[in-house]
Amino acid sequence: MNELIPLMVIVPLIAALLISTISRFNTVTKVFTFVVALCLPLIPILSNYGLHYFGGYEPMLDTVSGVIYHPAITYSFTFLQQIFIGAVGLLTFLVVFIYLTKYKKVSGPYLFLLFLGTAAVTAMMLTDDIFHMFVFFEILALAQVGIVAASSIDYSYEMALKYMVLGSIGSPIMLLGIGFLLALTGSVNVTDIAVAVHNGLVDVTSPVFLLSLALIFFGWLYASGLPPFHTIKSGIYSKAEPHGAALLQSFTVISMISIVMIMFRIYASLPIFEVLIVFFSILAMILGVSLALTQTDFRRMIGFLAVGELGFIGLGIGLGTNFSITAGLFQALNEIIITALLFIGFGAIVNATNEVDTRKLGGLLAYHPKVAIMLLIAGLAMAGVPPLSGFQSKLMLVQASLSCGFPEISILAIMVSIATFVVFVKTYYTMFLKPKPNDLNLEGKEVPKAMIFAMAVLLIIVVLLGIFPDMATGGISNFVGGIL
Amino acid sequence: MIMVQIVILMTSAALIVIGLYSAIFIDNIIKKIIGISFIEEGVNLFIVTLGYKAGGVVPILMPGMDPAWFAANAAAPLPFGLVLTSIVIGASTLAVMLALVMVLYRRYHTLSTKVMLADTSKREEYDE
Repeated sequence: MNELIPLMVIVPLIAALLISTISRFNTVTKVFTFVVALCLPLIPILSNYGLHYFGGYEPMLDTVSGVIYHPAITYSFTFLQQIFIGAVGLLTFLVVFIYLTKYKKVSGPYLFLLFLGTAAVTAMMLTDDIFHMFVFFEILALAQVGIVAASSIDYSYEMALKYMVLGSIGSPIMLLGIGFLLALTGSVNVTDIAVAVHNGLVDVTSPVFLLSLALIFFGWLYASGLPPFHTIKSGIYSKAEPHGAALLQSFTVISMISIVMIMFRIYASLPIFEVLIVFFSILAMILGVSLALTQTDFRRMIGFLAVGELGFIGLGIGLGTNFSITAGLFQALNEIIITALLFIGFGAIVNATNEVDTRKLGGLLAYHPKVAIMLLIAGLAMAGVPPLSGFQSKLMLVQASLSCGFPEISILAIMVSIATFVVFVKTYYTMFLKPKPNDLNLEGKEVPKAMIFAMAVLLIIVVLLGIFPDMATGGISNFVGGIL
Repeated sequence: MIMVQIVILMTSAALIVIGLYSAIFIDNIIKKIIGISFIEEGVNLFIVTLGYKAGGVVPILMPGMDPAWFAANAAAPLPFGLVLTSIVIGASTLAVMLALVMVLYRRYHTLSTKVMLADTSKREEYDE
């Protein structure tokens, strides 16, 4: 059913608008939101792979140049889109479920922002049009800022404005890069641009083409939260509600891979492109884990760890082989699931203790054993401990860098994984195993069941992907083979 | 490239550079936001220029027009479509930024980003 492809964007978009309209009817809004959120992971599962041409405008032949071009926006739906849109749909459902059970009176604008963000990343993942991607990239930035500002955490407005200001500088710079590509090729369709580049219609050594790479790359760094934007990215995670942060990090990962795959198709012929990606990825890995070590606010700590994990994704894509890109994309999928699990788990602790400073916590294992065990497994998965999903993707990345002739990168990846393990164990010990401080009152404070349910669902996926990685890697590898 | 296009491209470059300077180096948040708008408008101007055609006609095929003549003389429609969308997005982000500034101005009674957007860890120390 190819008709379902545009519905993946339209459903959350229309739902967002409707929810903000009907939000004064609390029960109706809750039921409607739940039903729509449940549909989000189902639509990509039910849809067939294929292309959708908006307005029915199929590719046409330019009789003058003899080149086939795309006159309208095209959505491309393959296994890669299915797995990532399915993952973000599932996450949206779980986050909405947590939100609906946590609050008696729901906020229409907040739910609007959650669905708007989901629609934006879905469109970014599907689109074959670089300007369309930019439009939803901007919409996503607005949704992210809204989600942060809507939280009741101190200084969330400040962080939201900071993110918005940086984004408003990064976005036009990216648009300028798209403008240069338009000037060179006369198109904003990625397939058309890639064909023009590979057929030699564009001089890849021209300063304009290189400048377009630099400008779009800058926008990608902002979207991904790679250095120099790592601090602001981890900052917005720490200023959002924990379940909101779980969704925000998935938005980051998906916008990262959707933009980088577009760039890969256009600029893969430039050796500098892969060098740039690997350089910034390694920087993110080192900075992410180093800064995580120094944090006492555990939300900020996960934020920096998430940035470090983004480096692993970039590393895989930057190495540029079929196996390494597959590993990078598999790592992206794992990062979405594992980091969401960590944010929700630590959010459960915030819910039970009203405390985010690890120095003021302790002895939580006795009071919240289910959360403690699930968080332990999630942390081990992030650090790359077998047989969990994080181990499989990191093992693939180490193998990929070895096979590409970069043993030093393999060693670095292993060292960063060990450092991640140290950061997590240190925090885990402080919060769960250390004796409880006398002034910490934990009696009668329960963790919401919805959070436990969400964590359990995500944990099952982490274990399943760890034991059967081929469920994801086989399809991803076929997709990557098609691109290469 | 004709003279008009060169002048417009230089104007857009000037807008972008002035905007970047303002957004990065000026402390006042409103001036920063004006700088950001300069960058956006400079980029929009650049894209509009790409669609310019000397002596061209509006890219709408009217009844009675010869399609071959139209294809040869119409300005490129794609950049205009892109810029229209870009302006709408720019207006939305501008509105959100100004709304956030209003909230923060009421809290801090200043437009200085050094005070308003100081590192939150330092701010917590400052509050104490």
